[in-house]
Parts: sequence; C-alpha cells; structure tokens
Amino acid sequence: MIHLPVVKATDRKFEADPDNAPTEDIREELFQLEKEGELEVIRVPDNYIELPTKYGRMKKIPVEKTWHHKSCGQCGHIPGYSTSIFWLNRQFGLDYYDPTDQTSCTAWNYYASATSNPEAQAAVAIRNFAAADEVGYFPLIHCGTSFGHYKEVRHALVHQHDLRRKVKKIMERLGKKLVIPEEIVHYSEWVLAMKDRIAERQEIDMSNITATVHPACHYHKLIEEDAIYDSEIYGAQRTAIVTGTLQALGINVGDYSTWFDCCGFGFRHILVSRDFSRSFSVQRKIEVMKEEVDPDIVVTHDTGCVTTLDQSQFAGRAHDKKVGLPVMSDSQVAALAMGAHPYKVLQLHWHNTDNKPFLRKLGLDIDKQWAEFQAEVDLIKAGKKEYMTWEDADK
Amino acid sequence: MANENILVIGGGPTGLEAAKGIADLGYKAILVEKRERLGGTPDASGYAALTPDMRDAGEAMDEMRAAVENNPNVEIMLNTEVTGAEGETGNFKVKAKSAGNEVEIEAGAVIIATGFTHFDPGRETQKYGYYEHDDVLTLVDAEKMLKEGNFVRPSNGEKPKRVAFIQCVGSRDRQIGNEYCSKVCCGISSKQAIEVREMVPDCKVFIFYIDMRMYGYWENEIYWPAQEKHKVNYIKGMATEIIKKGDHLIVKGEDTTMRRPMEVPMDMVILAVGMEPSAGTRQVADIFGVKKNQYNFIETIGGALNTVSTNVEGVFAAGACTGPSDLEDCISAAGSAVMKSIAAVRRVAVPA
Amino acid sequence: MMALDLSQNKHADVSYEEKERLFEEVKADERWHHVLYGCYECGICVAACPSARFYDFSPRVIAQAVAREDIDLIYTLMSDSIWDCSQCFSCDRCPRQNSPGQIITVMREVAVKNGLQTAKDALQGYGRIIYKIMATGSQVSPDMLQPDAFPDWGTHVYEIAENLEEWRRALPPETLHTTETGWKVDQKTIIELYLIWHMTGVMDLIEGVDEGLFMILVDVMEERLEEAGYDDITFD
Repeated sequence: MIHLPVVKATDRKFEADPDNAPTEDIREELFQLEKEGELEVIRVPDNYIELPTKYGRMKKIPVEKTWHHKSCGQCGHIPGYSTSIFWLNRQFGLDYYDPTDQTSCTAWNYYASATSNPEAQAAVAIRNFAAADEVGYFPLIHCGTSFGHYKEVRHALVHQHDLRRKVKKIMERLGKKLVIPEEIVHYSEWVLAMKDRIAERQEIDMSNITATVHPACHYHKLIEEDAIYDSEIYGAQRTAIVTGTLQALGINVGDYSTWFDCCGFGFRHILVSRDFSRSFSVQRKIEVMKEEVDPDIVVTHDTGCVTTLDQSQFAGRAHDKKVGLPVMSDSQVAALAMGAHPYKVLQLHWHNTDNKPFLRKLGLDIDKQWAEFQAEVDLIKAGKKEYMTWEDADK
Repeated sequence: MANENILVIGGGPTGLEAAKGIADLGYKAILVEKRERLGGTPDASGYAALTPDMRDAGEAMDEMRAAVENNPNVEIMLNTEVTGAEGETGNFKVKAKSAGNEVEIEAGAVIIATGFTHFDPGRETQKYGYYEHDDVLTLVDAEKMLKEGNFVRPSNGEKPKRVAFIQCVGSRDRQIGNEYCSKVCCGISSKQAIEVREMVPDCKVFIFYIDMRMYGYWENEIYWPAQEKHKVNYIKGMATEIIKKGDHLIVKGEDTTMRRPMEVPMDMVILAVGMEPSAGTRQVADIFGVKKNQYNFIETIGGALNTVSTNVEGVFAAGACTGPSDLEDCISAAGSAVMKSIAAVRRVAVPA
Repeated sequence: MMALDLSQNKHADVSYEEKERLFEEVKADERWHHVLYGCYECGICVAACPSARFYDFSPRVIAQAVAREDIDLIYTLMSDSIWDCSQCFSCDRCPRQNSPGQIITVMREVAVKNGLQTAKDALQGYGRIIYKIMATGSQVSPDMLQPDAFPDWGTHVYEIAENLEEWRRALPPETLHTTETGWKVDQKTIIELYLIWHMTGVMDLIEGVDEGLFMILVDVMEERLEEAGYDDITFD
C-alpha cells in the first residue's frame, strides 16, 4: 500500500506558449462566422474567472447567470450529484437557472447505438443552447459526455457549412436562432475556478483524506486542447481538473498507474454488454487504485464514470476482487467540505459502494444525519409534506 | 568596390566548416556566434559521441574549433547577435550587438548557419510525463550522462536495469504540427543504446519505434550491430503513456508484431526528441527577409539541386536551420554554401 | 471474447457488390476526410484503447482496413468488430490525426441505416433505452432502477426501488421530483425533440433497428404532435 503524492513538476518547468499553438482558436472562428451572419455567439456573462487550457489559451468560466444543462444519468440515478452542483451555486448566492426546457444531449444514445446522425445531434445541441439564450443565461454542462460531444458539435458546425445550413433550417422550423456559446463549459471547470472561494468556506477538515482522481475520457480526450491544464499540477502534462479542486480542499491526491484509463462505461456496454464495463472498471481502475494508493474515496467528474466505478464493485466483491472504494463527484466532495448534509444534499444513499467509513473518518455523526434525512422522508410518506425543500436540506 | 568578405552566422559544426572552407579558399570569413564559445549544439548540449562513427563529440568540436581559431582568414566574434541587415550581394551592412556594444559588419555574402533546437516534450501529444517523472529524459539529457560516464536513474542514483527509448517524439505528428521526420533520432537513439549497453552491461535496452530510419551505411554501421552485437531490443510499436508504478515507470504501447497492447516496466525512458528551428534561425531569417517554410525552418529554393540558396540573393543557409539534418548533411551543405557565396561575390567583383 | 476471424471466407453469403456499396456509403460521409488520413501502424490507438484489452479488437486494424479499402475485411469488421468499441476516443491521440473511434461511429451509422442484422443483434436489449429517450427526452429514469434491470449492481437496487417515490420527493431541486423521467421536461420541449428527429431522418434509423419499437414510438409521438397542432407530421 503506497500513498503517493500527486506527481508534481520535477525541477523542470513547462510553460505552454499560446502564441505558438498548433491549432486555430475556435472562438475566433466563431466570432468570424458571427460577423458573416452565419450564427450568433452567446457571450460569457461579465462575471467570469479565467483558467488555462492545454495550449496556454485562457478559457472564460462564467461564475453566475448559468443555465444548468442537466445529465440523464445524474438526474436519473445519482441525483445527489446534480443537487450538489445547485447547492454550491446557492451557497454563494449566485443567480442560476434550472431549466425544464432542456432535452438530453442524446450523446449517450449516439455513442451507444449510432441510431442518430450528425444533423440530429447538432440540432439537439443548438436547440438547448437556444433555450438558454432565450432566457438570458449561459449554458453550464453537467455531464462529461455532453461536454465532449458538444465540443465535437461546435467543431463540426464551424468547419462544415453544409451541416450548418441544415441545422439552421431545422432551427427556423422551431422558431429558434442558430446560437453557440462562446465557450463550452463543464461544471467541474466552474468548481475548479471557484476552488479558492470554496476552500475559504470549508467547514470540514479533509487533510486526513486520501483520494484518487479519475478524469473522464470525454472531458479531456475529445478536442483535447479545450480542457484545463495548469503548470502547477502534473507539470501541465495531464489535465488539472478535479485534482486542483481536491488539493485546494487539503485532500491528498494519490497517483496510480492506470490514471489515463477509461472507466469502462462504454455507453452501450454498461447497458447491454455489462461484463466489459464491470470487469474493466474493477480490474483496471478500482483494484489498481486500492493496491497502489488505498484511498478513502475515488473522485471523478462525470456521470458515466461515477456510475460505472461505483456500481461495478458489487460484482467485484462477489468475485473476491479487492474493491470497496466509495465513489463521488468533485461537486459532492466540495459541498461536503462546505458542510452540506451527506443525505439531504449529497444524497449518498443512491450510491452503491459503502461510503460510511469515509464519512465517519471526517468526524461526521452519520447515524444522526441519516435519522435527520429519514425524518424528512417520513413526513413525505405520511403525506404531511409534498417535497423536501432547499431550506429543509440546510436545517 | 564590392566587399568580398563572407559573414557566417552561427558557430556550430556548419558554421565552423563554412568558415574554414572560406579561409582555405583565401577569402575572409567573419564568424559570428551568440554564445560565449564555438561548437554549437553538440557543445552546448554536451554531446558524447557522434553518430554514426562514435567519434567523441568534444574531440571533434575541438578539431573544428582549432581550424578557425588563430586562422588569419577568420575573424571570430563571440557573444554577438545579429540585430539588423540591409544591402545586397557585394554590399551587405549587418548590425549586431557584440558583448554589449553596437557594431556594424560589412560583408559581400551571408551564410546563415543558426541551426536547430530540440523539441520540448511538454508539447507532445502522447502522455510521456517529462515534466512529472525524474526518470523520463530526452536524448539530450542522456547524452550528458553518457559524456560523464555516469548513466544512472535520476530518481535514486542507481544503475538502471531496463531502459526504453521512444522514437518520434515531436516529429511525424499532425497534431503538434511537426509532420516531418527529424532524420537523426533513430540513429542517435541506437547509438545511445549501444553506449548504454556498453556502460551498463546488466541493463536491458528497448527501442519502441514506428519505423527505423537507417539511411545508407547507418543500417550496417549502427542498426545491425545494435541488434546483433549489443542485443538492443527493437519493438515495432509506439508508446502512448508513461506513468509511475511503485519504483518503476510503466510504458504503455502496442507490440504490433504480437498484435496486442503491452505494459512494460522500465527504470528510465529516453524520449527521442526531434528537431525544430532554433530561435536564432527564426530571428535571423526575419532580419534578412529570408522566407521560412510552414515549420519556420529556412526555405531553400531549387529543391534537390540546390540545398543552400534562399529567396534573398547573396544570402545562403546551410545545415539544420533549413530542416532536419545529420552531421554529414551539415558539413556537405556548408561546403556548398561556401562555394556559392564566393561565386556570388566574385560575380559582383568581376562582372561577366 | 470471440476471436476475430480476418479471413476472406467470412460473410461469404453477402455479395462483393453489396459490401462495396456499404463502404462507398461510409466514404461519402461528410466527416470522412477529417477522420481518416493515413496510418503508419504506430499502434498508439491500440495502446490507449480499453476495448483492445478486453476483446479481440484493434482500432489499428480498422484504420488499416479502411485506408487499404479492403472491402471484405471492412465488411467483416463492420459486422463483428465495431460494436466492441467503447467510444472513449482515447484513440484521438493518433499522431496522423485519424480518429478510429469516429471511423467506427460512421461505420456504425451506416450499419444501422442499412439494417444490418449484426447491428440489430448488437442493440438487442437496448430497445428500452431508445424508447426512454424518444418518449421522454432523457436516457435513463429513476423508475429504471429495478432489480431485474441491473442485477449485477446488487441488492442496493432493492432499497432504491422500494423507496423510489419518497426518495425522489426528498430531493431539493424542483425539477427532480420525477420518477418516469430524469428531470421535469416541458411538453413543448419534447415536441421540439420529435420535430428534430422527424426532420433529420432518425425515425427511419429506429425502424431499421427495431420495427416493433418504431411502431410504439410512432404512435406516442404522432399523438403528441397532433395535440400540439402539428397535423402534417407523420413518421412513415
């Protein structure tokens, strides 16, 4: 069992040079197309923080006025994930929008079954962006798959005028404009941008916690240049996302030899070829993490990754695999650090692998907290309350 | 009256050979070098042995330096950087900053020999972790260690048991933008592999490659001996990740011969970094209005039949500033540039 | 884990002309010249690929096959191999800037569009997901957390299923007070989604994959579209 610190830059220091980036800046290309009347760009609201990306270009991360593009898997199966993102926004009194005029990005289905085509995928994306624009908010993407997919859609729309033409026609039929946001922003980038403010309000000491980080493939492998890289973290050789957030909370982040590996979600596989997903995630990720770091928690920033890593461990236990690492999202960890209720806000009862040892290690009285949650549920069961509110969650 | 001096910018092997050639023909060479000593990259980067003949690099550079120092036909200006230029064949006026002073150099023709720089592995597409792991090195780092005769793991100072070379780092890559092949790295890696095998006989050495570029005599002088005499393992298949596991580095690649992914532990990994134009090459090209190609190397006009003329008459470029070159290319190009530059000033001095 | 049979005798029942036609359709895709350049067989894609470790699957072989335009091999791969890909795009590290993952996406779309039996087999059991997304606009819903749906996720699912209604009401965000959908979606939004799928030909793809599912969906969608005032939209 080895506790490894996050690998920092050696004596060598790498600085990316944005003036010598090998690609065109997609945002410049968007503005050019806007000038030509091809589309409209939704500007990042005035209140933003900048973070560096792979080639050194700075990315604008909106702090508020965000339109929360929710995730199927989160809202469907791990709703504490979405809840924690909203909770963080509310703690800072930020103006945000949780839409009902939102469809799934449909990328999970696309990558699983290919029962779609680029035109449909692009139209779905633009429809959502237009819905955000119509209420005056800026899209913030909750899911890693949506994020990667929308980056691809943006790239396709900028470079394929035929596709643009087709999508514009569909939008016209729906009475909408062809709009694309100035930046495609993932919520974990927002959490990273806010890390110092979150750390300022940290109530729970996490310095005795070791975590491993799993970066979502679709976050940093699709359109690789548009992901956060920082020369202080991994020497800018790997994405800084999630790791940067956890370090700001005082958590020890341990490195392991399958860091770059996919979790094994597989889109189609997690649903109909499950032996692949559970074998891969247990043998290539969880077991390696356990053997090399033995962390208290595994932290990731995508729906599919949380699902696969968390749920697969049950089958692993049945086969005497060395598993048993609780999995959660960076937003849940950040919220917990700020004092969020593990059941009323983090909703950890939807997660599978036992997270109680982790919560107890933080000094939380989880029996009491579970009772508090149960009290709310009992009120609902008895018909005395229709829903648990935000106020109830923070009592 | 046309000036018949030839200005040589850059005191590496190319510049040294050019200056010597100019002097041998009875003309005056003005050799300008921005560092405080001559020898170029083999000197600055501490090369151990030259490819392919394994001659000691320091000794070779000493020989080249000796030919121009104390040579009545070569004026050497160290700590000198060119800052401006105007004029034409027979009448170039070049401004430079020499040890803090502004100077003006007059020459009839110019040979640019400003060379290359090594690719920075932080910009590599694959995840090699050069800025994360002490035991991941470049050819340049390895060369320094070989020169000192001290080839050990930087992390713990111990002799390595398993060393891997990874080829094509920063070259042949569309995403980085350096689509070309850097020509020399296969030879240099193999040469270093041989040196490691000799210096650390217990150490197994692997080279992960896409293709082995062994032109001409390199095939039988380097490649075959590396495999046959020194038992270097050549594995056709590239690595995509280097990550730490316990005390080792894990190299993830595909063994294409066996058609399966492989993960092999190594003690040290040496990245065969490619060539890029040096900052001096870019600056000097712009100063003289010389056209650069899409990779910012100096573009020579005339294709295969003219490897030294640029778009500016009277200004020639030789060696690695024009593109990936091995030492033989540099020496040959220097000779060609000497010939053409002297011919150019003579045409002006004695019109036909 | 089936061994991949790369011999030319595989799929001899399909004519060469048919195999060629399918490949022409693949090449005609607008993305084709961005996803396939040349391949120098470095193996980086295989090195990074999770499926290559589990299946007898090689993105390198797929890239080579399409680069060589080996019709028989391409058809074999389109039938037996492309559904092993986990669409993670680790292979986008290709130094030639190929994307074997996207090559596979295009091949999959062509397989689905042409109703290949192997595509239908690969998507067997997936129909309920397509139904969910088409009917509700989100891919998974809380009421799918049933023991029979995810048996290898263990006994925890029983607890969720039993308490589903109350636990969903015990969620602070108002949009999550749902069990049949992931979040509350406006009717107008669903209609817009149907219109998109109608206009982009996606319904035809569904028909090719699962005709029974297609018919159920058509009923649902046409009814809702009519209610919303779109009498002119049909999905045949």
